[in-house]
Amino acid sequence: MDIQLKKSGIGVKEKRSSHLLYSIKQNLFAYAMLIPAFVCMLCIHFIPMLQGIYMSFLDLNMMTMTKFLKAPFIGLGNYYEVLFDKESLLRTGFWFALRNTAIYTFLVTFSTFAFGIILAMLVNREFKGRGIVRTALLLPWVVPSYVVGMIWGFLWRQDSGLINIILHDILHILPNKPYWLVGRNQLWAIIIPTIWRGLPLSMILMLAGLQSISPDYYEAADIDGANGWQKFWNITLPLLKPILAINVMFSLISNIYSYNIVAMMFGNGAGIPGDWGDLLMTNIQRNSFQLWQFGPGAAAMMIVMFFVLGIVALWYSFFKDDLVVK
Amino acid sequence: MAKVGYFESMKRKKKIKDALANLLLAVLVVLALGPIVFMVLTSLMNHNAIAAGKWIAPTRFSNYVEVFQKLPFGIYFRNSLIVCTSVMIVALVIATLAGYSLAKYKFPGSGFIGILILSTQLLPGMMFLLPLYLDFVKIKEATGIQLINSLPGLVIVYSAFFVPFSIWIIRGFFASIPGELEEAARIDGCNKFTAFLRVMLPLAVPGIVATAIYIFLMAWDELIFAWVLLKDAEVTTIPVGIRAFVAFTTARYDLLMAAGSIVTVPVLIMFFTMQKKFISGMTAGAVKG
Repeated sequence: MDIQLKKSGIGVKEKRSSHLLYSIKQNLFAYAMLIPAFVCMLCIHFIPMLQGIYMSFLDLNMMTMTKFLKAPFIGLGNYYEVLFDKESLLRTGFWFALRNTAIYTFLVTFSTFAFGIILAMLVNREFKGRGIVRTALLLPWVVPSYVVGMIWGFLWRQDSGLINIILHDILHILPNKPYWLVGRNQLWAIIIPTIWRGLPLSMILMLAGLQSISPDYYEAADIDGANGWQKFWNITLPLLKPILAINVMFSLISNIYSYNIVAMMFGNGAGIPGDWGDLLMTNIQRNSFQLWQFGPGAAAMMIVMFFVLGIVALWYSFFKDDLVVK
Repeated sequence: MAKVGYFESMKRKKKIKDALANLLLAVLVVLALGPIVFMVLTSLMNHNAIAAGKWIAPTRFSNYVEVFQKLPFGIYFRNSLIVCTSVMIVALVIATLAGYSLAKYKFPGSGFIGILILSTQLLPGMMFLLPLYLDFVKIKEATGIQLINSLPGLVIVYSAFFVPFSIWIIRGFFASIPGELEEAARIDGCNKFTAFLRVMLPLAVPGIVATAIYIFLMAWDELIFAWVLLKDAEVTTIPVGIRAFVAFTTARYDLLMAAGSIVTVPVLIMFFTMQKKFISGMTAGAVKG
């Protein structure tokens, strides 16, 4: 094709644009295959997102709801209300939810990674019944998350909950039966089930990673006289880093946007000052669909998105070298 | 002599280590299975005994009958099955087409589209739910088409919502099929579409099945959208029904646990039959990038 173009004496710039046109024409089939997906994403992702961004600047509440995008424009008013307005209950609720989500996401992400790698190493050994054990460990992942919230909601009950019975009555670890579903303990009550359900996925990913490491590395290390810890820190962990990157990303995103387990355990959360059982998504859902404060809801959502973008940027700069290899 | 002693002590050390590892593993297996076993056992007990923290023989199968009497659980189940199956089919077709296109063709904008698809995964569902809800209200006012409080509305939202990630998984499967096969089919007289349909698609079936299960599980597990978009019992799906039961009635633990067990069973069966394929599907993308 280049030869033809040179013969006809077309300039460099035109050559490039006609080349682009040509390759678009060549790939019309590929574009056609993408059309349904593109339409879907346009209708459910991109247009609503633009509307959502615009909504965050509107005074959109129960009174103005029917006007939708024609509601009065109030600039950054919603952002001010959600972030700084001392009079507004939305502000207190948002900051508490943000604090809880931060602690929750950090602890869940870190623990699923740490326990995931331990579990993967444990089941990566040779032993009898390995298949059954692996399947058993995967089961929590299959239980729907709203059922997880429900089961653990009962396990955590103060008086007759199984956890208190085991910890207090049988093992005598705790001097009394704590209220897991009240106050600060609420955070544990949602963190632990989330880890419980998230571990299997983390384990499978890590296991796949472990199995892709060539045994040659370990043999070489054995010859050099390395001990178990040295092998772990200098071979296993660095080689697992690409998988770790994906695992961390999965976990961060799904936990910042976590909803089901909390909603099943605490209803929609009260959002009162000091509430430890409220996360960002339950908070925003409640403000938007119970109090009909769509404007502030959209603004809160935008703030969360900025946080997430920041976290993704941090994640990228941390794992950059592990992602470009492929 | 000394050398033999050294090996023996190494052997013993390894044995102790192995025993410790097995013990730890056993504890972790108990922790993993405990809550599930608890659910199933509680579903077979008397409510009063559970509430009092007493443990009795799990023999009360009538709870399972009562769930269907007390709650319109049959309707919930039917709705969930309709929604999940339709979503699975719609999203799968759309994602297969797009995934094939992205895996096998390099065209202007393909890299950008790939990143665009992935980036939608960074955004929370709530971001789309707020405007979509109001959009649906407006659509109802303007045209009379009911998307709130209706199953088709939920199917549309779910399908579109699960498409991006499904594209990404399926793309990985198509990418692992050698392109020569398609070229050979083309030489034998297929056009691009029939080559895709007759040669490439059958080869990707394991991956497509894995993706189908993934979509089904996601739809089965979805609560936020359903909670906001569905109001009447006639169109309620299982998660919404169970949540409403927890929130608005004095909880009957036995019934709830029975409902939980019933809900978990279809998913368990699906998972066990497809376990190998599903897991290789989930990990393939992650390991091979």
